[in-house]
Amino acid sequence: GHKHLRTRYALSISVDSVPQVTVISAGQNILIEGEDEDQPYVAKVLKLMGDESGQQKKALVRWFIRASEVPLSKRKLLGRDPHPQEIFYYKGRSCDDEVDAESIIRPVQVLHLDAAAPFPESCDEDTLFVKMSWDSKTFKAVTSDQVDSGSADSAPSHLKPSLPPSPPCSPPAAAPATQGPSCRVLPTPDPAVMRKASLLIIRLESIRNRLKPNSTLSPQATPSTPRTPHRATPSIPCRSLPARRPANILEEARIRLHVSAVPESLPCREAEFQDIYNFVESKIIDGTGGCMYISGVPGTGKTATVHEVMRCLQHAADVDEIPPFTFVEINGMKMTDPHQSYVQILQKLTGQKATPDHAAALLDKKFSSPTPRRETTVLLVDELDLLWTRKQNVMYNLFDWPTRRQARLVVLTIANTMDLPERIMINRVASRLGLTRMSFQPYTFKQLQQIITSRLDKLKALDQDALQLVSRKVAALSGDARRCLDICRRATEICEHAAADPSAPGLVGMSHVMEALNEMFSSAYTTAIRSASVQEQLFLRAVIAEFRRLGLEEATFQQVFVQHQALCRVEGLQPVSVSEGLSVCQRLGACRLLLLEPSRLGILQRVRLNVSQDDVLYALKAD
Amino acid sequence: MSKRKVKDAHLPVGECITQLQKILRERLCNQQLPEKPEGVGAQHKHLLELLRRTAVHGESNSVLIVGPRGAGKTMLLKSVLRELLEEKEVQKNLLQVQLNGLLQTDDRIALKEITRQLHLENVVGDKVFGSFAENLAFLLEALKKGDRSSSRPVLFVLDEFDLFAHHKNQTLLYNLFDVSQSAQAPIAVVGLTCRLDVLELLEKRYIERVQTQLSLPQDFPDEKFAKDWNESVKALCEDKSVEEVLLRHFNCSRDFRSLHMFLMLCLSRVTVAKPVVKAADVLEAGRLCFADAKADMLHGLSILELCLIIAMKHLNDVYEGEPFNLQMVHNEFKKFLQRKSNSMYNFEQPVVLKAFEHLQQLELIRPVDGSSAKTQREYQLMRLMLDNSQIMEALQKYPQCPTDVKQWAMSAFG
Repeated sequence: GHKHLRTRYALSISVDSVPQVTVISAGQNILIEGEDEDQPYVAKVLKLMGDESGQQKKALVRWFIRASEVPLSKRKLLGRDPHPQEIFYYKGRSCDDEVDAESIIRPVQVLHLDAAAPFPESCDEDTLFVKMSWDSKTFKAVTSDQVDSGSADSAPSHLKPSLPPSPPCSPPAAAPATQGPSCRVLPTPDPAVMRKASLLIIRLESIRNRLKPNSTLSPQATPSTPRTPHRATPSIPCRSLPARRPANILEEARIRLHVSAVPESLPCREAEFQDIYNFVESKIIDGTGGCMYISGVPGTGKTATVHEVMRCLQHAADVDEIPPFTFVEINGMKMTDPHQSYVQILQKLTGQKATPDHAAALLDKKFSSPTPRRETTVLLVDELDLLWTRKQNVMYNLFDWPTRRQARLVVLTIANTMDLPERIMINRVASRLGLTRMSFQPYTFKQLQQIITSRLDKLKALDQDALQLVSRKVAALSGDARRCLDICRRATEICEHAAADPSAPGLVGMSHVMEALNEMFSSAYTTAIRSASVQEQLFLRAVIAEFRRLGLEEATFQQVFVQHQALCRVEGLQPVSVSEGLSVCQRLGACRLLLLEPSRLGILQRVRLNVSQDDVLYALKAD
Repeated sequence: MSKRKVKDAHLPVGECITQLQKILRERLCNQQLPEKPEGVGAQHKHLLELLRRTAVHGESNSVLIVGPRGAGKTMLLKSVLRELLEEKEVQKNLLQVQLNGLLQTDDRIALKEITRQLHLENVVGDKVFGSFAENLAFLLEALKKGDRSSSRPVLFVLDEFDLFAHHKNQTLLYNLFDVSQSAQAPIAVVGLTCRLDVLELLEKRYIERVQTQLSLPQDFPDEKFAKDWNESVKALCEDKSVEEVLLRHFNCSRDFRSLHMFLMLCLSRVTVAKPVVKAADVLEAGRLCFADAKADMLHGLSILELCLIIAMKHLNDVYEGEPFNLQMVHNEFKKFLQRKSNSMYNFEQPVVLKAFEHLQQLELIRPVDGSSAKTQREYQLMRLMLDNSQIMEALQKYPQCPTDVKQWAMSAFG
């Protein structure tokens, strides 16, 4: 980046007029280079410093914040649309107050306005307005004294050891081409102002010819095709009639047992909760980054636990126990392509829309450039395995950003398999993921029982024995809490139907639960075979007979058909013709009881069973 | 209609027949919904309850209806929806999205269709703008904004559900089920598939169905005609031979669509001269339905082609179904000719080749897969696509089949 900058400087010298020298003194407001070229940071200079050699000049500043820097979720607290030239007096937590002189762009005028006063109609490019302050939670009106005098009330409480200046990043390659050149010049060493520098001299190129993007991109013609409404708000229309309230205990229970009902707290996951909480909290407090990998079979509460951790941390941040942070969630299943994850992260962080490549570049810049006032970002990546690409660059980036010093990014990843890092990740990705692993074990029957009891919360709807039966059954099979809840919910439905008096149904008992379990675990194949037509059943028997004769698990239709005709005679039925036999065979194939070759092969197509022979015989015998 | 009824209670027979055919054809071909579903009462009640809870209480649900083709899955769903939409509370609230796995062949198309049917705000006119990724994000955002009690419930019907499961990553299905399992806009997902069967026995309602399908409604203009017709249908259903045909059909398939086709054949034989369905009509329709397609084709072959088929049959018997080529068939045929003194079937090689090619065009024989096209046609390996029983049956019915050819076909080894 640095090299690039120099060459561009040289270029501009030869083309542009003589560079102009700008003097900056304490008390002035300045623009400081930031992530976004069009929205540089704004600050007021409090003090200027320089070191012995004159190579490093620094400024101590008091920050203003732009509306676009306020987290997306909090912008609505303002209650109106921010003016494009409006800035906010920043009263939030202390952040890096020292800036390199290199990153100063130019001075700017900041005007204080009363909260009620309107914004001036005609405004100069270089005039910014301040009405309110922002303390990372609320907007408050400020007085002009506060803004002008600056440091009096809230001088930086502590100065962090300043970091050595890092080279400013080159602008992203995909930045809009309409922007003017954005190079600056390294300050010339000037011994006179070095030691107790009260003035800072910066040579600027003739002030950047910053054009509003609108003026250059003036619409040539109105688009002829209808475009998507620019800010279409996604929403489902509202109900015209209100939803009915639950009328009896069972309906109430059903709502609580629905998987979507969010419980107050998650029982049986206290240890996991604590681990994740501690991990994220420590990272937020230290202002560092890190990765964590969480695994477990479906329905063991991974996502729910992480969400609860985030809720608790958000609460802690709201009451100022920990620094504020931003929470962003993406889900591998909820995007069309792994690279869309960049777009979604960027959109959720800043509200910008970009193509995947551009978004990746912007995020990369964001996480690698040093920024004052950066909040920790907590990123939850659900269904991580879906983000796999051949080059694994998405995963690589997600795990690489937290390792950058300035990123302050905590990544929590969730997937089903325990050994995902070993199985699908190449070494350099797996190593960045690190060793912080956690695995969620399937629920035991006692835990399942506790989950349902806590959900029902003293609501007398389920018999204790019935509850135990369900939890034992599910725990023995998968330990999937979702399935357990579904069975209980189905049992309440059965109970309601069975009740003689619909207004006062009794307790859900063993019989109802048994019925629900049977519905859930019964084999569809057996039912399918039992309700098949006579010829279809005969054909299945013929298939098995032919397999036995051949000693193979595969036969042609012709071979099976010979057996089929013989069976027809045994059963005293009129033998079917080949066409009918083929259509019987096709119907079985459509239900996937048989696996068939394409039907154009006619009687030569090969037939296989899609169920075990024992299952077929069992189903036919019980008839 | 009522005026006419008062005027002349007895319409001419021709008019009656036209009316009758119109009503019954509509019933058989247009998949008209029956008054009330038969034989699936329990399923009907279950599904109705489930969907009503989504519509009225805003509870998310998902259900999969499985059953073989023609078992009445769509009918069940349609009749449930008809009943559900009669309730005012449901009618005003429920949004419907109908998808079909055969139409929405990938998630991109499916998403556009969903957005279009929901009339979301990124729909302009009839077009949905934005990329696939944007559409997905938009739809998910829309569903996420809703909640149980305030937003309108959405019913997703996924016909040919199994095809949706083949989409890449199953993105659509995951997201639909995810929405149904989280506190977002209430949705009900109904999948229809033939992959596995759970519907209960259809046997009982089958014969009954024939009667209800063919009986006339009460408001038929000519009462006397209607009465006669209904009685004749009743009598028809009691006929032994008719029952036999129907039972045979039922044994083969329990598919309502094929029953409808069968009844259409009967119905089309009703004329002014013969204003009722007779047992003979049902038998004739049965004969048409059960007839073997290939055996009919064999009747149209020349003697030479038939002889070649017989030669192939013998080759199949001798070599246990190994593929053969034209030379082998021709040799087998020559062996038969040598035994005969009169050589009325002495054909030149090109004639035999032509006959052989004709058989291939009719797909009575097909080349073995993988045999390269480079091989000379005489030596290309072939398989016979006919079963022995089909050949023998065709020979029996072949008009003026020479006796020696018949005997040759019957003989065990050529």
